Amino acid sequence: MNNYEIVDSTKKLEAAFAKVRKAQKAFAEYTQEQVDKIFLAAASAANKQRIPLAKMAVEETGMGVIEDKVIKNNYASEHIYNAYKETKTCGIIERDESAGITKVAEPIGVIAAVIPTTNPTSTAIFKTLIALKTRNGIIISPHPRAKKSTIEAAKIVLEAAVKAGAPEGIINWIDVPSLELTNMVMKEADIILATGGPGMVKAAYSSGKPALGVGAGNTPAIIDESADVLKAVSSIIHSKTFDNGMICASEQSVIVVGKLYDKVKKEFEARGCYFLKEKELDKVRKTIIINGSLNAKIVGQSAYTIAKLAKVDVPESTKILIGEVESVDISEEFAHEKLSPVLAMYKAKNFAEALDKADRLIADGGYGHTASLYINEVTEREKIHEYAERMKTCRMLINTPSSHGGIGDLYNFSLAPSLTLGCGSWGGNSVSENVGVKHLLNIKTLAERRENMLWFRAPEKVYIKKGCLPVALAELKQVMGKKRAFIVTDSFLFKNGYTKCITDKLDEMGITHTTFSDVESDPTLASAKAGAKVMESFEPDCIIAVGGGSAMDAAKIMWVLYEHPDADFMDMAMRFIDIRKRVYTFPKMGEKAYFIAVPTSAGTGSEVTPFAVITDEQTGTKYPLADYELMPNMAIVDCDLMMTGPQSLTSASGIDAVTHDLEALVSVMATDYTDGLAMRSLKMIFDYLPRAYDSAAKGASYDYEAREKMANAATMAGMAFANAFLGVCHSMAHKLGAFHHLPHGVANALLINEVIRFNMVEAPAKMGTFSQYDHPKTLAKYAEVAEYLGIKGKNAEDKVEGLIKKIDELKARIGIKSCIKDYGVDEKDFLDRLDDMVEQAFDDQCTGANPRYPLMKEIKQMYLNAYYGTHEKV
Amino acid sequence: MADNIIAVRTGKTVYREGDYAVKVFDEDYAKPDVLNEALNQARVENIGINVPKVIEVKTVDGKWAIVSEFIEGKTLAQLMQENPDKLDTYLEMFVDLQMQVHAAKCPMLGKLKDKMNRKISEADLDATTRYELHTRLESMPKHTKVCHGDFNPSNIIVKADGTPYILDWSHVTQGNASADVARTYLLFTLTGDEALAAKYLDLFSKKSDTAKQYIQKWLPIVAASQSVKGKAEEREFLLSWVNVVDYE
Repeated sequence: MNNYEIVDSTKKLEAAFAKVRKAQKAFAEYTQEQVDKIFLAAASAANKQRIPLAKMAVEETGMGVIEDKVIKNNYASEHIYNAYKETKTCGIIERDESAGITKVAEPIGVIAAVIPTTNPTSTAIFKTLIALKTRNGIIISPHPRAKKSTIEAAKIVLEAAVKAGAPEGIINWIDVPSLELTNMVMKEADIILATGGPGMVKAAYSSGKPALGVGAGNTPAIIDESADVLKAVSSIIHSKTFDNGMICASEQSVIVVGKLYDKVKKEFEARGCYFLKEKELDKVRKTIIINGSLNAKIVGQSAYTIAKLAKVDVPESTKILIGEVESVDISEEFAHEKLSPVLAMYKAKNFAEALDKADRLIADGGYGHTASLYINEVTEREKIHEYAERMKTCRMLINTPSSHGGIGDLYNFSLAPSLTLGCGSWGGNSVSENVGVKHLLNIKTLAERRENMLWFRAPEKVYIKKGCLPVALAELKQVMGKKRAFIVTDSFLFKNGYTKCITDKLDEMGITHTTFSDVESDPTLASAKAGAKVMESFEPDCIIAVGGGSAMDAAKIMWVLYEHPDADFMDMAMRFIDIRKRVYTFPKMGEKAYFIAVPTSAGTGSEVTPFAVITDEQTGTKYPLADYELMPNMAIVDCDLMMTGPQSLTSASGIDAVTHDLEALVSVMATDYTDGLAMRSLKMIFDYLPRAYDSAAKGASYDYEAREKMANAATMAGMAFANAFLGVCHSMAHKLGAFHHLPHGVANALLINEVIRFNMVEAPAKMGTFSQYDHPKTLAKYAEVAEYLGIKGKNAEDKVEGLIKKIDELKARIGIKSCIKDYGVDEKDFLDRLDDMVEQAFDDQCTGANPRYPLMKEIKQMYLNAYYGTHEKV
Repeated sequence: MADNIIAVRTGKTVYREGDYAVKVFDEDYAKPDVLNEALNQARVENIGINVPKVIEVKTVDGKWAIVSEFIEGKTLAQLMQENPDKLDTYLEMFVDLQMQVHAAKCPMLGKLKDKMNRKISEADLDATTRYELHTRLESMPKHTKVCHGDFNPSNIIVKADGTPYILDWSHVTQGNASADVARTYLLFTLTGDEALAAKYLDLFSKKSDTAKQYIQKWLPIVAASQSVKGKAEEREFLLSWVNVVDYE
């Protein structure tokens, strides 16, 4: 036998703590294999001593039943071992390579274990075993009434553990318990595993250390009319008599619904329970509860002993004393937790009343603990559901003896086995489940950097070639069998016969059609609504948008209104950081109509983008909508429709496409896919925009090659920014356009060079937040673009300067002025409203993808530079 | 002086000397206890309750004595006995007075919890029971209400004009008022009048909107503290109140 230092003073306890701490420090380095070996040895040793320990506990405390305590000891070793033998508790316990997540388990340190009188040996076995499994040290504070047996159980586990290799002194205890020492243990420990009454649990929580405390139970058992009476009554007797009713999950009252009452009563009587008569009831009341508190003398005693104390004559073999009572108020002694084979029995008119009674009994003294219900679980799912909603208990057991059921793994094998049952916040606990090894570990998460998944999305069909329009449209009839087409365009295009080639084709195929040509240049909600109204009565199965950005955007909005008349644009326009994680779920599109976009100018890219902008003419609010649901189903890029575009439109849309490319290229979401499209598109624009511009002059002859190149370049740019998104140039251009009425393409053109200079900075104030964008690298990207365009330079900066120069030359070549001022924007007005414009630009949806995260003062400076045509460094 | 004896209590005798009441302590009474009582009484003089003021602390024939104002009138206990038909009115007055005391603050007073902890440790009880009591006390909410500590009808004097004065502040502390109420309930019970005790508890819990169970939670603690210096014949009864357990 080992000799242990007797811990009976604060000084000795300090020494004991030091010893456990030292042992735990060594234990923390143990491997899973070493720990599992110790766990097995300790569990086996405890199991072997189940009978001596049970005898000792009963002898010492004078409570409970030896044979039942044997089961508890056996359970605490066997079921706990079985439940956790495979559980990883040391070091890396989980790893997900692709997600880059590793979980590492570390012990918490030293556990303060407060052990009650009711289950002294089994609780000691349980707590020491889970402490060993998690490489924690443990100091036990036993109850004075059960200290000998509690300490003996701890010793058995300790000695077996040490023999199997655990550090000496990894388990320790207080030999002479006092509240002072208990409080000290709790204050000094790293975590508290408190099992005990509310007083102890409260002390644990006020110690300032994290505590897994559990509290009182007052389990009501409802017997529904659909219940199997034989099973219900025998289960309750089995549970209530177990260790003379000392398990905290044990039934305290039975609530019988309706006409089953007499049958249940008879069955209880037949199985050896005693129903107290009128006068006996009062005697027992006075015996079990004194001034609202439980009489210590009855705890864990047999029904016969308690009856004798109350001076009531019952047969010695009586299993349970049952009091038929009415009040569920705490002033009724039988409504209390009794920790003995004394049971209250209530009659309920119906299930609802039974729930009310159970609810109240739980509130009386069992918040968060356990409740039980006997019911036909096949036919009465609804009642079970209602029950689960109503009970404020963390365990709700169906057709199960609650003592055995609550501790888990005996009547349900997915409820974790435990002798410490969490009662949630209702019981003032930090856990609401059965306490296990996971509560004694610090789980560290190792998160490695991973990059966001990206995608490339485009319309399912993009048809390209001069003259392809009628061929592509043939599909409507031949492949899709469409019957009714709705054309959306603007009045200029309509009057000038741009839609004739479409309507001719539709007529030829016998597809009924109608045209809405009332689209304005900045489409309003009102005009979209008007269009949608016509659409609603016409009931098209396909929509053909013909025109520039305005017509295509308006058509997209009409499409939304047609498919989802209740759609809220405010919700749809909600700002997001990542389109894949946005709060708003866009409604499904295309249920009613197939959407075809036919651009008549080269620039906007709307035919292949998931974007649309609509203005509420009443409030002036612009709703920028973005969702892949808004992507057209088919885009037809046919330069035959672009042959007569005027010079101003050609230059503004062409330069717009330049900024689409440049912003998509440096966006934090840029991919190889979008880069390929944008680079090629950019080169084509530099090569062909001047020619297209020239050919748009009055009297000049068509340049079909230039027009076609420009048409394709604009659509490719659209695909690039549909997936990589844009940047701060567009944020600023949107607001500049809105504040000072500059055409969108022109606004972008005036700002793009400022933005390039802004983005190319190698040490920006802030860079954009996106996993892929790991360091400021936009200078290199611009240089790469410059090289691709054939610009030479001695270094990256030089090349980018060349790029800026090339853009300036292009702008000049196609008639774009060099600064905002030159467009007649009043200086005073510009400066007066500048701060407003800055803030709105900052908050634009496009800002998020910019590689350099702009500060508002930086945006302001860029605006000023663009206004005056200066280049103050930002 | 012997002619002017007003009251005799364990270890102390109160005399009247003109406008003064002189409380003379037995020789073996500890000096700090006497001075402490005078200090306590002085402290509660200015908390808005009618209290006889301390005039002087002196020794009389080698015995310590506290001289305070003499309040002319009858004790509430006398009045209750003399006018049983007015019992309800008196009880109401009694509860109101106690609530007035509880409403007061007196930060310099000793802590009720410390005192109870001391009493539990001194009580002749086994280790298990003391452990349960300490734990129970530990879990009680900590308040700072003035608790008279021996609030019973014989410590209240009602002047002819009906103004009540509260006497005997030797046990005053600050803490949880329910402990003070539990103690008063215990004192009523010990007089043998259980019906009056029950009536008092009902009235207090109703007037102060305090749950009876909450007050009852203090009973094992005040019973244990009472057992320390209590009468031998009361011991068995007190222990029956003490020997209860917290739920598990």
